[in-house]
Formats: sequence, C-alpha cells, structure tokens
Amino acid sequence: MNRLFKFLLVLTVLTLSLSACGQTATQSQPTEPQTVRETVTVKETVTVKETVVVPAEKVTVRLSGWASSPAETALLESLLYKFSVENPDILVKYEPITGDYKQVLLTSIASGTEPDIFYVDIFWWLELAANDALLPLDDLMKASGVSRSDFIPALIDAFTYEGKTYGIPKDFNTLGMFYNKDLFDAAGLAYPTDDWTWDDLRDAAAKLTDLSNPNRPVYGFCTPPDPGRFPVFVFQNGGTVMNSDFTDTTLDSEAAVKAAEFYASFRTNQIGALPSDLGEGWQGTLFGKGQCAMVYEGGWLIPYLRDQFPNTKYGVVMPPAGPGGEGNLIFTVAWGISANTKNAEAAWKVVNFLTSEASQKAVLESGFALPSRQALQNSDYLKNNPNSAAIFNGSFFGAKPFFWGSVGSDVNDQMSKALERMFKENQPASEAMKQAAEAIRKAMR
Amino acid sequence: MRTRTDRRKWVDALNGYLFISPWLIIFIIFSLISLGYAVYLSFTEYNLLRPPRWWGLEGYQRVLEDELFIAKALPNTFKYVLIVVPIQTFLSLVLAFAMDQNLRFQRFFRTIFYLPSVTSSVVISLIFIWLFAPQGIFNQITGLTVNWLDDPRTAFYVIMGMNIFTTSGTLMLIFLAGLQDIPLAVYEAAEIDGANGLQKFFYITVPMLRPVIFFVVTVGVIGCFQVFDQIFVMTNGGPLDSTTTITYLIYKWAFRDTRIQMGQASALAVILTLIILAVTLLQRRVIEGSGSGAER
Repeated sequence: MNRLFKFLLVLTVLTLSLSACGQTATQSQPTEPQTVRETVTVKETVTVKETVVVPAEKVTVRLSGWASSPAETALLESLLYKFSVENPDILVKYEPITGDYKQVLLTSIASGTEPDIFYVDIFWWLELAANDALLPLDDLMKASGVSRSDFIPALIDAFTYEGKTYGIPKDFNTLGMFYNKDLFDAAGLAYPTDDWTWDDLRDAAAKLTDLSNPNRPVYGFCTPPDPGRFPVFVFQNGGTVMNSDFTDTTLDSEAAVKAAEFYASFRTNQIGALPSDLGEGWQGTLFGKGQCAMVYEGGWLIPYLRDQFPNTKYGVVMPPAGPGGEGNLIFTVAWGISANTKNAEAAWKVVNFLTSEASQKAVLESGFALPSRQALQNSDYLKNNPNSAAIFNGSFFGAKPFFWGSVGSDVNDQMSKALERMFKENQPASEAMKQAAEAIRKAMR
Repeated sequence: MRTRTDRRKWVDALNGYLFISPWLIIFIIFSLISLGYAVYLSFTEYNLLRPPRWWGLEGYQRVLEDELFIAKALPNTFKYVLIVVPIQTFLSLVLAFAMDQNLRFQRFFRTIFYLPSVTSSVVISLIFIWLFAPQGIFNQITGLTVNWLDDPRTAFYVIMGMNIFTTSGTLMLIFLAGLQDIPLAVYEAAEIDGANGLQKFFYITVPMLRPVIFFVVTVGVIGCFQVFDQIFVMTNGGPLDSTTTITYLIYKWAFRDTRIQMGQASALAVILTLIILAVTLLQRRVIEGSGSGAER
C-alpha cells in the first residue's frame, strides 16, 4: 500500500509539472495578477474608477517587436502606457523579442502562439501576407476614419498586396550622404549640396583621399559590398534590381552593370575602400573615426555618432544624382496584426494609437526614426534638424522600397557576392552581374 | 513465491524508470519526437506559415541538385573534417604525451592547454576575429597585410585553426587518461630491451591507445561534420561561400532565407546524419580491423 501511495504521489507530481509545461501563453487569464506588468496595475485602478456600474471586460492583446536600443524600447513603453490610460478596457502585453526576430516570429506563427501585433519588416513581410498570416487592415482603417493617403505613399504602398493593406508603417529611413565637415575643410572643398551628381562625388572623393599615413589611411568614399547600399546607384543610373512584378531580376541590364562599374571604380582608383579593407565591419565606425569622408547611411547613424563620436562634425545631404536621376532606398517597418488574432478590434486600436500623429510626433522628436505620416513633413523638428530632414525628404526622390520579392535573401546574397567578386577577384562587372542574375533566376524556380 | 518475485521485478523496473523519468521525458520530447518530426518534415514542403504538405522525395532531389550544396557545402565540410581531425588528434596526442612526462609546472600547462575548451566558442570566435583583423595582432606580429577573414582563400583556414586550438585541450585530457592507463611494466620491459623514447611512443603508446584513438577520432569527426557556431559568428558562410558548410546551409534554408524551406533543410539534416553514420561505421571498421582485436 505504502509503495502504491508513493507511486501515485510521484505520478501526481509528474502530471502536475507536465500540465504546467503544456500551458501556452495564448490562454489569456485576465484575472491572474502575477503575469501583468507594472503599467497594468495603474490601468486596473483606473478601470475601477471609471466603470463602477458595469465592470469592463478586459481584452488582452500581445505586442512584439525587436528591441534595437533601450531608449527606443522606453519610448514604446511610454506610448503604451499612454494608451493604457486612454483605453482601460484593453490590456497590452509588450513582449520584445531579442535575438533573431524573424526566426522567433515565424516559429511562433508555426506553433500558433504568435503575438496579436508585431513588427513586420519591408524585406520579408510579403511572405507573411501571401501565406495568410497577416490580417488585411482596410476595413478596420475605414471604420476608424484612417485613410491610406495619411501616410507617405511610398511607405503605405510598400505594405500593400493584391490591393489590400497589411501593415501600417511605423517609421522609416532612407539613405543620406553623410559628409565629414572637418575633412572637407582640410581639403578646401565646399560642402556638398542636394544638387550634387556622380561626377561631383567622384571629384570630391579623389580630393578627400589621403593615404600618406599607412596606419591611418583616409578614403574619400566607402563602398561596402552591401545590398542595402549598392542598389541606390542602380536606381540613379535608371536601372532596377527586379522587374515590376518581381518575377525576374534586371541586375544584368546595361544600367545595373554600368552602376556596378561606377561603384567599383572608387576602390580601383584608390579613392574609395571597403570597410573590411580598413578592418571594420561597418562604414559608420570609419566615418566616425574620420577614415571615410563620405558614406551613404540611414538616420540610424545620427544617434550612433552622437553617442560614440560626439566630436565628429558632419552634415547630411541626399545622395548625389546619377545619369538616370535621383535614387534612394526606403527601409521601413510596419505594425502588422496576426490573421489568427481573437481581438482584431483591440489590436487595431493599439496600432492606430501607435501610428497616430501624436505618437509619431513623439517618435520623431526622440530622433530615432522618421515618421510615416505625411502631415509631419512640415514639422518644426525637421525644420530645425536639416540632417534628419535630408533623410526624410529622400523618400520623395526616386526612392524604392528595400524589397526584392520572395527570393529577397538570394537577391541580396548574389548582389553582395557579385560585388565581392569584383572587389576581391577583379571579375569584370558584366560577368559578375550576369552570374548573379543567373543564380537568382535559378533560385526562383 | 514465483509471482512474488515477478511482482518485485516489475516494481523494481518501475522504480528505475521513475528515477530516470526526468531525463527520459526530456529525451523523448526534445530528442526522440523532434528527431522523428524532422524526418517527417524532410518529406514535406513546409514554410512555417502553412501546414506541411507531403511531397515525398522532392526535397532530397532539390538538395542533391542544389549548386551551393554540391559545389560549396559538401566539399567544404569534407575538407574541414579531413584537415582538422588528423591535426587535432595528432596535436592532442603529442600534448598528452608531453604532459604525461614529469615536467616542471605540469599542472600549470595542463590547465593552460585545457582553458580554450572551457571557454564559450562564441567568445573564442570573437577573440579570433580581432586577432585576424587587417590591423590585428597576427598581422602586426608577422608583418603581413592579409585580410584573413575577408579573403576567400584564407577565411576557412582561420576557422579550422581556431577549432584545432579549442578542441585539442579536451582531446588531450582524454588521451592523458588513456596514457595513464598503460601499465608502467610494459615501458620498463621495453627499456630493458633497449628501446628509445621514439620507439616506445610508436610501438607501445600508440598501439595501447587504439581504443582511445578510435574514440577521439570518432568524436572529432562527428564534431567537425557539425561545425556551425564558429562560422555563424565569424563569417556567416562567406566570403563568397568559402566557409559555407552543411550545417550552415541547413540554418540558411531553415531560418535565414526570405522563403523558408524547412522541408528541404530537414532533408539535408537527414542526409548529414547518414553521412556521419556511414563515416563512423567505416572508420570503426578501419581502426578496429587493423588492430587485430587488441582491445583492452
């Protein structure tokens, strides 16, 4: 008997621990206080005060994004707190994902435990929309009086698939040409303007390059083999990376090959360098150190320079135009809502709040990213911060989204490999781009 | 009487399983079931967003037709195994032999040689990134200007060197245990017969260590076939795919690509398992076969 009792005891413990493991996070338990965040407690007291007669039914929505910096997380949390005060009936659980965001998100979708609201990156969002993982937002937008035209067209169009809106852009970046004012002064050059062309860029790079100190060479321009930089030159040469419906690549076109030749010519003529030539992984660091006089980077470089290189004097203008006119890349992230959400209305309320003009203004003024709403184009902040304004305005001049269709990662890989072959193995541009295009076509099959 | 002992056996067995149940449950859930599921997935098309769809051997066919697998990942992996395993085995054997002599500061050296093994491979990878940077210590000491990790000709060898550096310590320890198991009388007998140090090493130590060598080589081969974290941290498979191995390709297909190909990645994982199984069986036959059953 005694033994049997022991056995049963062990069995109960085991089943208990197992059932505890089996509980998934989707089961919302509004009455349990221990899983609730601090901000929520405040909200709860508000609920009691406001709805004394009818106890409000609390809806829980989960929200995830990557956490790129503590300051940015704090900003989001403060916005969510504001939301919780205004909407006491909705409980927002913020669950930031650290590490490989896309991997965590996709596996959570596969296991049916994804958050209700999450970041979707321009680069891979379509894969989610095309596989019905995202909720079309048009009806919800209409119901709350939000129009597509409230947002910068290039941004909202980027998150449209088969005529439906699948994400509300939360912010964006384009590339600006950062230039080091001290190095320009030392070379006796006038600062660049938005009217510069490729020729101006090449002449300035030649004059700014100073290789007299072998331990600390200074190059005029940095040309990383980076698929997030090089396409700008293709666009400026009148070319594209993919055709309009993303069924074929145009990297082996005349325009793209000539752009690649121009891009590689900086290093060949020793007036430009790869970041890896100078022992860095990122050209932003070299710009801060004053070893690259000009770089194409996004608004993320501004807070980085402020923190790491506060003494580097710099300005930002739009990338110089090429023979085919202006060109730029748009990097943007949207709020998407899971197609499997049980609380679509509540989730939309949160998204709508986070992308409202008031919230966007807070984002803009914190200096992390640029707002996606058209109305903020004439804000005081942009008037007083010409560097941010240059990156904001870049979206209106030949800018295309950083998106290459369903084989996007292959296109990126092949672009950087083609550039690496040109840089490191001296492969002619026409051959390199042809090889890249063939590999991309193979991946498409 | 008989029923009683039967019952007792049954209860004993149950007790035993209860005691190992924490491990058993974890093993079944996280190893056995996941393993079986991966095999199932290898016969499906699966992008994580829609339920897996059965497509038989299509995934395997795609793997075998994939240029990156045939031209880069497969040869790279074999090259890695063929270079790293012999060097690390020989090096650790020599180190163990040295540590087995009555040297001064023996314990100190043992600790030093073992230290890389207890350090996280990510940390060592980062240290090596700095050591082999263009303006890194290695270039400064040697006066070279090679950009080691960014050059398709050198990057893979740096990673190989690093792996040899990290694993030799552990393998040395295993060899050391094996060496101390060899009875001194055998050496004494050889000395009386006039054998010198080198002869003792090749005609006594190495043959007596055969089972240990088999173990070290097997573990080394399996570990080398699965090399991933160093590549993930240091080169991401680049430059120009020169460091793409089978495991990195699995990761790339399963998680990194825009279009997730979990089925194809699982198929490659199964293929890798079969390769490792075949190589291990082969080497068991070779090492044991030549030993004329001299097992201790």
